[in-house]
Amino acid sequence: MSEIPDLADATGDPAAAEPGAHGGPVLTAHRAGLIGCRSCGRVWPPETRECARCGEGLVPPDRRGLQAVWAWLFAGMIFYIPANVMPMMNTSSLGGLGGGGDSTIIGGILQLVHHGEIFIPLVIFVASVMVPIGKFIAIIWLALVAGKPATHEEAHSRLKIYEVVEFIGRWSMIDVFVVAILSALVQLGFLVSIKPGPAAASFALSVAFTMLAAQSFDPRLIWRGLPLRRRKDVNE
Amino acid sequence: MSETSPLRPGSPSRNTVARAAQAGFSLVWLVPILALVVTLGLAWNAFSGRGELITVEFSDATGITPGVTALRFREVTVGKVEGVAFTEDLRNVLVSIRVQPDVAPYIDDKAEFWIVRPVVSAQGISRLDTVLSGVFIEGFWDATTEQKQTHFVGQDQPTLARMAGEGTWFVLSSPGAKGLAEGAPITFRGLEVGRMQNLRLSESDETVLADVFIEAPHDQRLTSATVFWDTSGFSVSLGAQGLSLNVASLSQLVQGGVAFSTMAAGGAPVESGHLFRLQPDEETARASLFGSAEDDIRLSILVDNDLSGLTTDSDVVYEGLTVGRVTDLGVDIDESRPDGEEVRQRITFVIAPSRLGLEPGATQDEALSFLQDRVAKGLRARVSSSGFLGISKVVALVEQPLAPPDRIDTDTKPYPTIPSIPPEVSDLSASAEGLFTRLGSLNLEGLLQSATNMMDAVTQVAASPDTQAIPSSLRATLDETQAAVADLKAMTQELRDANAAANLARALDEAAQAAEAVRLAAADVPEMVVQMDEAAQAIEEFGFAEISAEAEGILSDLRAMLGSKDAEELPRNLSDTLQAASGLLNDLRDGNAAGSLNQTLDSTRVAADEIAKAAESLPELAERFQRLATRAEVVIAAYGGDGAFNQQARSMMNELSRAASAFGSLARTIERNPRAFILGR
Repeated sequence: MSEIPDLADATGDPAAAEPGAHGGPVLTAHRAGLIGCRSCGRVWPPETRECARCGEGLVPPDRRGLQAVWAWLFAGMIFYIPANVMPMMNTSSLGGLGGGGDSTIIGGILQLVHHGEIFIPLVIFVASVMVPIGKFIAIIWLALVAGKPATHEEAHSRLKIYEVVEFIGRWSMIDVFVVAILSALVQLGFLVSIKPGPAAASFALSVAFTMLAAQSFDPRLIWRGLPLRRRKDVNE
Repeated sequence: MSETSPLRPGSPSRNTVARAAQAGFSLVWLVPILALVVTLGLAWNAFSGRGELITVEFSDATGITPGVTALRFREVTVGKVEGVAFTEDLRNVLVSIRVQPDVAPYIDDKAEFWIVRPVVSAQGISRLDTVLSGVFIEGFWDATTEQKQTHFVGQDQPTLARMAGEGTWFVLSSPGAKGLAEGAPITFRGLEVGRMQNLRLSESDETVLADVFIEAPHDQRLTSATVFWDTSGFSVSLGAQGLSLNVASLSQLVQGGVAFSTMAAGGAPVESGHLFRLQPDEETARASLFGSAEDDIRLSILVDNDLSGLTTDSDVVYEGLTVGRVTDLGVDIDESRPDGEEVRQRITFVIAPSRLGLEPGATQDEALSFLQDRVAKGLRARVSSSGFLGISKVVALVEQPLAPPDRIDTDTKPYPTIPSIPPEVSDLSASAEGLFTRLGSLNLEGLLQSATNMMDAVTQVAASPDTQAIPSSLRATLDETQAAVADLKAMTQELRDANAAANLARALDEAAQAAEAVRLAAADVPEMVVQMDEAAQAIEEFGFAEISAEAEGILSDLRAMLGSKDAEELPRNLSDTLQAASGLLNDLRDGNAAGSLNQTLDSTRVAADEIAKAAESLPELAERFQRLATRAEVVIAAYGGDGAFNQQARSMMNELSRAASAFGSLARTIERNPRAFILGR
């Protein structure tokens, strides 16, 4: 058992798996014939169905689980289309006499740019366009390359991207939050009123599905493609 | 833990493919499928609800912003402007409007569009809201889906059709645009029931036309007997009631307005688009209540005479009834007429056939043929005076049965010409003038003076006692005359009855004797002849002329005697005497002198006897007269011939004879009844 590498972090702690840290090949729980809990990281014998520590169901790392990622991702992408085509926010001032009207995300950004604003449209653009699309691309890439052979460096960069996606997912709702807060606050009746448009719901769904996709991704698959140098060495 | 060999991959890595195949389709795929369905549904919904694109042409696109400006129908947004472009000739702008699909089917060829902007007019300020909200395009269409159309020409201002919806359109015709204005109100008894729009010049005649919209249910009040009149401005009239100022309302004062009323019952219902004629004021409207204006026929007359006093809107009268109205006065130049008469006045007037007694609904041709018939029988038009002073003039249609046959010239343009006659000299004004002239020329003062004098003289005569005595005197004279005549007649009769026959017989006997004597004497004819010669000679010597003169003198004396006043007075004196006697007798009778009465009677009888004796001598007198007359007759007959002497003698003889007869009759009367002679009865 002395050869058993550090299995404390089956979910993949890059620092722990750093080859330079202990110089040898990364030993994953899977390779060790164990099954790691995705929730708390405890490893259990392969037959174990439930983590006795946190109660989470134990699933072996399998590309089969990528189906859920793809499913959620597609749903998120589908909802992202109406989120951009349909109006995000409906503003009306003076009972509709003072102008306003529907505005989509891109339309609103362009409108602000026309007014000479730079910062706010930039924020909106980043939060509402760049980030979701970046997430889509990141998740697609992760799903595609998961389980495929990779070097340690590649595996680490995948892991970093995954963590960014995970981290940023909770902030992707900023657009929806803005609309929700504005709709709640700016209800001055006849003077000005703001109502969420159909795109807000779509955008929220898109973000939610994207987050679920990222959640469904099993980061353990990142490490499954690592070269079994140790086995080679053994075989050799 | 023993069977778990360290550093060996778990079995799952071996049978991953198999398990995946067993798992098959994961339920999580339902999520993107559902998302796809929902999104596609949204997309489809958005696409199908996108509506139809129509284009509206405006002269300018003031205030129209693509993506913002709305299309509204009854103030509800039913579409949005998507773009603004130009027409090919750059004269107009094309506004593309995306219309909601639920109303798009109703936008057919009858749809109308206009841009709503703030309006400040005499009726007030409207659509001020568009100052804040920006203009919008308003459309109006009915609930029918007819011919589909996607390109429209926008209107400059709102149509009246959007008002209230229900109602009827009519056409108003006026000689001028006075009182007419776009959007001017139509009032009925002072209540606004409609508006007018689309003022335009008529293409067929000289009038101004306007479309009038009357809201339901007020449009039911209009019949063919409805009249419209102008209520704009104000009118000041000076009449028998004094000075009258008439102002309808402030808005109508500023922008005009029209009122209508149905003044006569029995008008036929009118269809949409019926043509009404605008009258200048209410009085005229009441006066000229024509029938259906569409059936009116227009005629012209050409006259030479002065038309001063005749104006447009002057009446056209027929049998004293106003049947039409003069619509135009002009000049007609006819080169074919002799010099100095080329220019004639053309009077154009309109006649309501219903006023001529034709059935309602009679066509113009029927009315024209009716007039043609009347003209053939002597109907003529002429300009005549009217009114109390004869200042204003009318066109009168008069019957002239003796006029030469003529006909309406239907070939003249623009309207048929009805034959006219010169104005009647004995028009009211002329006759009045003549009457005044004759009255002025009468010697009224002299006539009155003479009449006064005559009356005075009559009064004087009548008042004089002599005149008053006339009747009694006359009567007395007449009575006396009658009595005298009766007496004379009786005397004559009696004279004749007395001895005429005997005298005649005796005269005949004497004549016979004379003849015998003559016959006897004839024996001695030769002697006698000699004697006769001698006698003749003697006669010749006798101095015939002297005898004649003497006889003539006798006759003259006789006549003078008979014709003298004394002779005439004889009866009267006699009568007076008799009356005196009568009075005396009365006195005596009344005097109670019984004794003396008998004496008196006796003496009277004696007197009577004496009178009787005297009367007895009367026949002798008569005989003497007779003889004288006979002799004179013989003498006269001897003269023979017809000379003046003869005639005089004969007349004298007759007079003598009559006198003799009278005396005879007098004598007999006295004989028979002396008392009557005395008493005068």
